[in-house]
Amino acid sequence: MAEFTLDCLGEACPVPLMKTEKKIGELSVGDVLVVSIDHSCAMKNVPEWARKQGHNVEIEEVDDGEWEIIIEKTK
Amino acid sequence: MSETNIGTSSGTQRARKQRKPKKSQIPYAILLTALIIAFGFYLGRGNNQLPVYWGFGIAFGYILQRSRFCFTAAFRDPCITGSTSVTRAVLVAVALSSVGFWAIKYASVLKEAETNLNMAGVSPIGLPLALGAVLFGIGMVIAGGCASGTLMRVGEGFLMQMLVLVFFIAGSAWGAHDMGFWGKFNENAPKIYLPDVFGWFGAILVQGIIIVLLYIAAAKWQEKKMGTME
Repeated sequence: MAEFTLDCLGEACPVPLMKTEKKIGELSVGDVLVVSIDHSCAMKNVPEWARKQGHNVEIEEVDDGEWEIIIEKTK
Repeated sequence: MSETNIGTSSGTQRARKQRKPKKSQIPYAILLTALIIAFGFYLGRGNNQLPVYWGFGIAFGYILQRSRFCFTAAFRDPCITGSTSVTRAVLVAVALSSVGFWAIKYASVLKEAETNLNMAGVSPIGLPLALGAVLFGIGMVIAGGCASGTLMRVGEGFLMQMLVLVFFIAGSAWGAHDMGFWGKFNENAPKIYLPDVFGWFGAILVQGIIIVLLYIAAAKWQEKKMGTME
């Protein structure tokens, strides 16, 4: 049940998605990954990818144009 | 919202950063809308077309931003994640615009007006097209956006994309400067125009069939790569 953070601030698509994909692969089931992003496009495709993979996802806008995507690895 | 349950079965609790109080942006939105309308009226003095262009430009940018429509993702995501939802959205958009273009062009041909749009926008298929397409494809993935996507993200305030914009303008100017040189390669290149090949109704039918086939292929691709079609 460890929690990991991934800083993708300033990274444009598709870098946040690819980093998330890689990081999720290293995590074990039940771990939580918090991805910080500020690219509006990544705010769409990272959660979409994670949901399609079957993980639990939550998005929070922490500031104007800055989001945290919380992904719980389920499988 | 300092503590939030993220809805897991184990009930993991996470301490959150205290959110900064947000300033309401509604006054800015009202001010901006008023300015847009005022500028539209200003453009309308002496020219009837400019306000229409202005309106379409604003609407296009707004829809692009709200929908997160991304032509780059349409071609990139199938390769990196296998997701084709954006690809299929672009196919639907192409299908709709095909019908629109077809109607406008066919109407102009039927009227035999002096503004015959029959061959407008039909470009030769040659070496410059192939070369440019490959370069554009590489560039847009690195830059994180195609032309319209870059403009939209500059508007959103993503700083990296401003750098992209500088080189986007420089590249466009350079390309325009060398247009005469590239034109030489196109002298013998064929111009393929579907209505000439299949007739007007055949063209829209063939185009429609190709789009439907691509849509099915995209859906199958995602099912294969991600195990879900949605």
